[in-house]
Amino acid sequence: MGIKGLTKLLADNAPASMKENKFESYFGRKIAVDASMSIYQFLIVVGRSGAEMLTNEAGEVTSHLQGMFSRTIRLLEAGMKPVYVFDGKPPEMKNQELKKRLSKRAEAQEGLSEAIEADNKEDIEKFSKRTVKVTKQHNDDCKKLLRLMGVPVVEAPSEAEAQCAALCKAGKASSHLPCVYAVASEDMDSLTFGAPKFLRHLMDPSSKKVPVMEFDIAKILEGLDLTMDQFIDLCILSGCDYCDNIRGIGGLTALKLIRQHGSIETILENLSKERYQIPEDWPYQEARQLFKEPLVSTDDEELNLKWSPPDEEGLITFLVNENGFSSDRVTRAIEKIKAAKNKSSQGRLESFFKPTANPSVPIKRKESKCVLRSFKPAIDHKMSSLRISNWSRPMVFGKLRMPIYNLGSELSVPLSRGVCFGA
Amino acid sequence: MLELRLVQGSLLKKVLESIKELVNDANFDCSSTGFSLQAMDSSHVALVALLLRSEGFEHYRCDRNLSMGMNLNNMAKMLKCAGNDDIITIKADDGSDTVTFMFESPTQDKISDFEMKLMDIDSEHLGIPEAEYHAIVRMPSAEFARICKDLSSIGDTVVIAVSKEGVKFSTKGDIGSANIVCRQNTTVDKPEEATVIEMNEPVALQFALRYMNSFTKATPLSSSVTISLSNELPVVVEYKIAEMGYVRFYLAPKIEEDEEETKPQA
Repeated sequence: MGIKGLTKLLADNAPASMKENKFESYFGRKIAVDASMSIYQFLIVVGRSGAEMLTNEAGEVTSHLQGMFSRTIRLLEAGMKPVYVFDGKPPEMKNQELKKRLSKRAEAQEGLSEAIEADNKEDIEKFSKRTVKVTKQHNDDCKKLLRLMGVPVVEAPSEAEAQCAALCKAGKASSHLPCVYAVASEDMDSLTFGAPKFLRHLMDPSSKKVPVMEFDIAKILEGLDLTMDQFIDLCILSGCDYCDNIRGIGGLTALKLIRQHGSIETILENLSKERYQIPEDWPYQEARQLFKEPLVSTDDEELNLKWSPPDEEGLITFLVNENGFSSDRVTRAIEKIKAAKNKSSQGRLESFFKPTANPSVPIKRKESKCVLRSFKPAIDHKMSSLRISNWSRPMVFGKLRMPIYNLGSELSVPLSRGVCFGA
Repeated sequence: MLELRLVQGSLLKKVLESIKELVNDANFDCSSTGFSLQAMDSSHVALVALLLRSEGFEHYRCDRNLSMGMNLNNMAKMLKCAGNDDIITIKADDGSDTVTFMFESPTQDKISDFEMKLMDIDSEHLGIPEAEYHAIVRMPSAEFARICKDLSSIGDTVVIAVSKEGVKFSTKGDIGSANIVCRQNTTVDKPEEATVIEMNEPVALQFALRYMNSFTKATPLSSSVTISLSNELPVVVEYKIAEMGYVRFYLAPKIEEDEEETKPQA
């Protein structure tokens, strides 16, 4: 799933690109949500214990509806405007990865039957998580539910993450009311597809109290000192869904190599063939193409995102009559959806005022590079000169003599910084 | 090197009290023109802009443009330790990671030094264009504070509408609704008690009362408040600080959904 080890790589090498924000601070924002990923999470988390799932009277699973309903209401209540993007046909390049997942699931299925026979609770829990699969029926149920709730649904021609990224990019270019602010998914692919802003943990349950993690692609590129093309190459080298990576090359090595050589082609020319085995059939160029120009819909008509009032009767028929939800809960939830509309109307200052550079320089220097130099012999000399300047300040009041004297010794810490000023 | 001596120290105390509820951490910018601050609240709905011009200080030394990141709650804690008649001096050295507040009693027999740690704050600075407003209302600040407080017990949104009749504040809530109209009134004993309405175009905008109430914490700074409204812009609520500058609060309006939909996409 996604790009191997990218989160850690970013945390270590481009910390400024990651920001924790409160869930509530996204009010008024339009957010593209990777639906398949969310449904998968719901199937795992919501109302499941062991191999038992939440079902309706007919025995059909309803975990996804439950999850989608309550989580979407949470987004709406916080004033967000979600648009859900569903996966289309997976690109051919993903077949290998999908086969792997299929065989893993088959393994898990076997493990599960064994565990059930042996009545091993831990293993049942472990394996049943792994057997979860999102079916077309699940997707269709959720689409129906969302449309009844008045939330727009987009069906991607291929990968949902790519479509999300495209929605987010389109909004930036064309209008002063940004169309879609960010992509919400757990799949780091979204960044490789070029989503300007990417949110993790947005769809986590509120009980977990995890802040939303916001990634900013511009800051990632700045922090890693790479171009977008190089970043895509980095992701392919680190390991993506579309082709294998080179054995022995992880994120950190990949970053080093990209910084040194600039692209996969040059890396391949320079890479020691004895140390690293490059896979014989390594379609990195196709993978790159897929990230750069994925199959997405850009049709304005279809992407005309509209948030409308909920279809109350429809929701009650679908949830209460067909899927055994409690009628009270659904009625209350509908009230919440209606009330939420008020919240999403609050404007943001950024839509009126544009950011500018602040001409002032922080008085407090960032310490990073300076501290290293503090052991130069020059320190003694500068220390004394600075001390003098301190003494000469016209502010020696009776009571303050002692503290100032003490300052002389305490000053050694800021002074090391003083040294780098000169250096 | 920075050294700013403010004889009327209570001003700084009041300024901090007026903004610390809205903003937690902010960068104070210091230049040869004055001591200023611009910061948004965490949800980016409201912005505060403070200016204390250098002329208002008894002594003002600032060698180059500097910014100092401070936690406003901590700063307020320190300033609370200053007496109301104290002279406050703000001092910082180049490259230092602390700022010092020095309080001198009016009789010069007590001098206190409070040193506070500075912080690194990444904040976005917004460019605020000079604008012509459709309507400008000046009214007693206490009156405005009272209106905001009263309305927030009924609803959470206020509509401020300026017409020929005057300025109307209205709200709606679960228990009912409220309307308060203030008419132009210049026949008062003291000029600060006047209500003056300048209107080029009628205007009506909706705002969250929660923020308005927070702005009125600045009421002790000035006996009158100026509210500037335009249909396309955030409202400005300004409290002038006598002979020194101002505290201005900007608040983004609430936008009706349908309006947004029909807005031309530029």
